[in-house]
Amino acid sequence: MLLTHVVPTSTTITNAGCRQARTARGRLSPRARRCVEGISLWLAVLLFLFVHPVFAEASETGQEGAGEFHFVDDRGQRQGSATLLNTDYQVTVSGLIADTRLRQSFRNTSQHWREGVFVFPLPENASVYGMTMTAGERVIVGEIHEKQEAKRQYIRAKEEGRKVARVDQQRPNLFTTRMANIPPGETITVELNYQQAVRYQSGEFELRLPTTLTPRYMPGQALDNRPAQWVGGWATPTTEVPDADQVSPFTVLPEDVGPGSHRATIALTISAGLPVSRVSSPSHRINSTWNGNTVEVAPESDTVLMDRDLVVRWAPARGMEPSAAIFHEQWQGEDYLLAMMVPGLDRDQRLPRELVFVIDTSGSMAGESIRQARRALLRGLETLGPEDRFNVIQFNSQTHALFMEPVPATANNIARARRYVQGLNANGGTEVAPALDAALKDSHSDGETSASVRQVVFITDGSVGNEAALFGKINNQLGRSRLFTVGIGSAPNMHFMREAARYGRGTYTAISDLSAVERPLDELLAKMEAPVLTDITVSWPGQTAVAEAFPNRVGDLFRGEPMVQVVRGLSGEGELEVSGRLPDGSRWQQALSLDQAAPGKGLHRHWAKQKINALMDSGLTGQIDENAQKKVTDLGLKHQLMTRYTSFLAQEKTLSRPAGETLAADSVPTLLPAGSQGTMLRYPQTATLSPLLTAIGLVGLMFLTAITLLQRRVFG
Amino acid sequence: MNRLILLLATTFATVLAAGLWIPLKAIAAQELLELAWAESQARQQETRPWPWADTWPVARLTMPETGQSLIVLDGAHGESLAFGPGQVLGNEGRTGPVVIAGHRDTHFRGLQHLETGSRVRLQSRDGDWRIFRVERIRVVDSRHEQINTSQLPQDSLLLVTCYPFNGLDGNGPLRYVVEATAESLVTADEVNNTLPVETVAGT
Repeated sequence: MLLTHVVPTSTTITNAGCRQARTARGRLSPRARRCVEGISLWLAVLLFLFVHPVFAEASETGQEGAGEFHFVDDRGQRQGSATLLNTDYQVTVSGLIADTRLRQSFRNTSQHWREGVFVFPLPENASVYGMTMTAGERVIVGEIHEKQEAKRQYIRAKEEGRKVARVDQQRPNLFTTRMANIPPGETITVELNYQQAVRYQSGEFELRLPTTLTPRYMPGQALDNRPAQWVGGWATPTTEVPDADQVSPFTVLPEDVGPGSHRATIALTISAGLPVSRVSSPSHRINSTWNGNTVEVAPESDTVLMDRDLVVRWAPARGMEPSAAIFHEQWQGEDYLLAMMVPGLDRDQRLPRELVFVIDTSGSMAGESIRQARRALLRGLETLGPEDRFNVIQFNSQTHALFMEPVPATANNIARARRYVQGLNANGGTEVAPALDAALKDSHSDGETSASVRQVVFITDGSVGNEAALFGKINNQLGRSRLFTVGIGSAPNMHFMREAARYGRGTYTAISDLSAVERPLDELLAKMEAPVLTDITVSWPGQTAVAEAFPNRVGDLFRGEPMVQVVRGLSGEGELEVSGRLPDGSRWQQALSLDQAAPGKGLHRHWAKQKINALMDSGLTGQIDENAQKKVTDLGLKHQLMTRYTSFLAQEKTLSRPAGETLAADSVPTLLPAGSQGTMLRYPQTATLSPLLTAIGLVGLMFLTAITLLQRRVFG
Repeated sequence: MNRLILLLATTFATVLAAGLWIPLKAIAAQELLELAWAESQARQQETRPWPWADTWPVARLTMPETGQSLIVLDGAHGESLAFGPGQVLGNEGRTGPVVIAGHRDTHFRGLQHLETGSRVRLQSRDGDWRIFRVERIRVVDSRHEQINTSQLPQDSLLLVTCYPFNGLDGNGPLRYVVEATAESLVTADEVNNTLPVETVAGT
């Protein structure tokens, strides 16, 4: 504000000064000199006004300390946590299923009876099937209840003064443990049992144990029970974590919790059924001990700080990489089969591709999003081989393609594309339909190049409306193309992106954290380089209506990926047939005898979890109808699984807390993750370059005036 | 030598002009948005202020303390923030929390004058005003914190801008967050009834 007033004044002075100087014909009259000095003075004053805040800024950050941030409650006081937490993971891997016993201990270090609330993550595909609470000597086995019922019983027990623990699922990978009536100085342990499928990729197994959450700190008043809100297409059940406490589950730095808190002990037992040759971890230093075919793995340090995921990878001995596996389990009189098959195909086979990049340059992408998208595109261009063809299409209100039709990836063309990409700017509206038309238009749909694979990478922040029409378009025009959607930014239209990829027989990659674009994108691009098998059909022997196989439709397989399917209602007889189309158009077929099935454990839970996932996916934007809700609840109750609608509850029968004592609530904070990020709403960028530019301009002008003055004085 | 000085002077003058252009654009755009807002209120539909815009007015925000009246745009991306404060979160119905972000150098410069207890008014497209009371003001570090939308009370309003207000760094991590809670609702009819009174008071 100040500037706009001052600058015009200084311009008038400049004009006057110039006139004076001109009349003096190169020689400065004393008056002109005064005038010029006046300008410098003005500029100096302005400069001071601008530099002052810089000092202010510097001194403020100095006081705060580097990277440290304090959490305070409503009264401006720092909330220390009196409830200590320690976690113990015992993982047993058998075959393709990892079974984990997770123990969370809460120790009440205060003088009061407390309630502890802790939000924690589990792997996305984890199925929680058991829970026990240990209080002192007593062990209480938790039971599965319908969620509302569990909540009612919990509140009753809490008010009556009985020890009680409840575990809820908030999101597929986010859970809450709450325990009421922890006596002063005592420890309560909640034990959870969950299983997850082990990932097998390129001859290597991988298991991930998440230990912390993305920052999700947003204080405010405590919530009462309100219906779920819809945020960015996600149902976020209201985490009424701050039940009585004013502070929500917050994330803190490791230094801020007690020295003995937030430590995990981890032990893995891997019995893969195969000789394991090497075990590694990209996240922690680990020790492995071999014991026949079983490997014991533990981190080098006894306790691990819970601020990053533990990732463990192991590989079978050379030449022992499995190409197929079958497991069988009978549970409550029903048969469950889990089949895995790796198409034994030549890994180095590389077929020419036609790659079309589509980038959203609408105004909503302005700022960081478009910068990241540009970088993503440049990385994509690097993966092109000499035999590939490619094109780059940008769209906002209008669609513009770099080349009329896909061109060979010669150095010349790529250089042109790089220049084009670097010049992309975000402006205008979002018209997706014509861009899809252009991207899916296949000039060689039945020509000589039909052997090549056609891939479309669609990068957008997905603020799209008419979804149904677009899905129809994709379905009709897809042909041999595959559509890979990449969602950029904190709130892409998830539903559109996911469904578009499904219709387009590709995958969806979410880039929510704009500072970590490389990893998910590199994974996608590497995968896309070698598609192996498409149009896969799986036929189980004597497939009847009883048999339900998940996932329903097997997507395309890429290099190193196995086909995994779980089925109910089939006994281990007959042959499983898998067929698909190779990239060059020929058919591929392989049969697997089911007699060879090894006994497996927990397959029924894996199947139920898959079915629940399918049901949860059925609705748009994560909302499912009552019928599906009931099915999910029934599955949860039958298979003893925790779902969005079923919770575990363990309560003691007798009273613990004397009637006179009050209960204090305590949210146990979660440690700030060292790297990973989630889909929380990020604070937008809310500053412009205006002050900086103004300051630079002013400093420069002042500097020049000073030089002019000096020059006149010395040489004049 | 003189030529060099002239060249540099022109360069710096251009930089200065570019710096001043941003606030100028912000002020000018609000005038254009007034028209679009009036039209969207009249027609009760999204009205783009200019045909190639990727955003549209969604609300009017007034801060009696600073005498500011701003048209709020949809979305908090670079393009919308250049012309007005952007609504990050909030829906058409008057349910659920509202989060509005604005540039500290232009529209939300006035946030620094708000204090606990100040009133902020928000008008939706149907003409109803909601009056919020500022409950507290915090400075947060956006590297360590995000907005947990599920934890926000239903009747809350968050105004977000960069901090410190006089900073030069356009990518600073600190954010100034004003948290307000809805106090009362004045429907469009009531406003119309009281309007003559206000006019009298104004003259």
